[in-house]
Amino acid sequence: MKPKDRRAGKLLGLTGHMQAIRSGIEHIFKPRMTVLYPEVLQDLGPNYRGMLKLRIDICISCTLCARICPSNALKMVKVDVRKYPGITYQRCIFCGFCVDICPVDALEMSGSHDAACYTLGEQVLKPEDFSKDPVIEDKPRVKPLFDEKRGLRYESC
Amino acid sequence: MNVVEQLLQILLSPTIIIPLIFPGLLTTFLVIIFIAWFERKLTAKVQLRYGPLYVLKSLGGLPQLVADLLKFLFTEIIIPKGSDKKAFILSPIFLFTLSMLPVVAIPLSNSYAAFFSDLSLLLVLALLTITPIFMLLLGWSSNNKFSFIGSLRDGYLMMAYEIPMFVSILAMAVAYDTLDLVQVVGRQSSGLWGIALNPLAAITFFVAMLMTTARFPFDVAEAESELVIGPYTEYSGIIFVLCLGASYAKLSVLSLFFAEVFLGGWNPLIWPLTLNPILPGVAVFVKGLLVMGLCVFMRSIYPRFRIDQVLKLGWHTLFVLSVASVALSLGIVWVLGF
Repeated sequence: MKPKDRRAGKLLGLTGHMQAIRSGIEHIFKPRMTVLYPEVLQDLGPNYRGMLKLRIDICISCTLCARICPSNALKMVKVDVRKYPGITYQRCIFCGFCVDICPVDALEMSGSHDAACYTLGEQVLKPEDFSKDPVIEDKPRVKPLFDEKRGLRYESC
Repeated sequence: MNVVEQLLQILLSPTIIIPLIFPGLLTTFLVIIFIAWFERKLTAKVQLRYGPLYVLKSLGGLPQLVADLLKFLFTEIIIPKGSDKKAFILSPIFLFTLSMLPVVAIPLSNSYAAFFSDLSLLLVLALLTITPIFMLLLGWSSNNKFSFIGSLRDGYLMMAYEIPMFVSILAMAVAYDTLDLVQVVGRQSSGLWGIALNPLAAITFFVAMLMTTARFPFDVAEAESELVIGPYTEYSGIIFVLCLGASYAKLSVLSLFFAEVFLGGWNPLIWPLTLNPILPGVAVFVKGLLVMGLCVFMRSIYPRFRIDQVLKLGWHTLFVLSVASVALSLGIVWVLGF
């Protein structure tokens, strides 16, 4: 565009408005960028720091996880004679320090982070509940991919 | 039997049907439900989101506003301690009623109108100019700084839109040589609609209409990021719905007005079809809905203007455009000799 034309367009302020309206109409016909979350879940990848699981059979009760925990989410709870870690998800920040420091790899992280509960009490897990598998919902999953044209694109997997 | 017939005659007379049923209160209520959903859904689509969805999923969340209204209905109405109580409660009611009132002057066909007048074009605009007073009153009576600033901004906005709006309608009145809406539509029966006859006036009136109803580029009065929600900050419950509904009611009335003045009213329909008011009424209504859809589309593409930018637009651009449209109309009359 020549400078003169640009000045004429600026005077009427029309080119900008036309561009805005055109891009708005173009966007109506583009596919959506969001995922319908509770019905379709995003695939979280293999090393995702999700909810924790304790393997109570190999835990040696060294208390290192409870000591390293920066938010005091892990605490040692007495079961029979020995103490095992219990967790409260009200505090957990999913930093993964406890998994890293565990000398026998008794703690592992799962690919689920949907820790929604109806009561606060449900978020406090004793060692016996902590050693159960976190609920991973069986829903269609999609994988986010980087797309040069659109930015994000989802592919079912 | 005679009594029933008389009662039916009264109920089916345009003086009852137009203000209360179509296109008055009841239809406006349904239109508000539809258009508020459409606004949110369209904005969501432009921003690549889903928008309202979970209320009746098969219809894409269409009754979302019904659910919202139910919620508002059961919300407690709180009247602040320092407020002017009578003005606080009454001004939203007057605001909504006066926003709806101009609908009585809008005819639906040659012979079907609530109020026949030689000056119906002026009457619609004159009734619309009363509403900003109640906007100021409700902002002042709330005794809240956000409400007060918001309503003052609404007053400023009125300075920006009112004169261009009237002058652009003056241009159409000059071009049609009448102030009667029935005759205005009659003049467009040749196929040369107002928007083609005088596009300058149409653009000016459309932008002024966006300002009147505080639609998106011009919602400086209720700017959420600055003023909570402007003049309505202290309101809650069902009177808050009245405040919000007033701007949509105004939009619906003005869209019908736009359809009659610039989009030919019931015009593609010819003589035998216009005898029954249903078809022409629907034609006007559909055109009005299209205009309304265009108005709410502006929300998804424009950011909010500053108040000084709005005033500058009103006085520097719209006023000049509207005066130019009067000149254009005079030229048209001179050349075509209407």
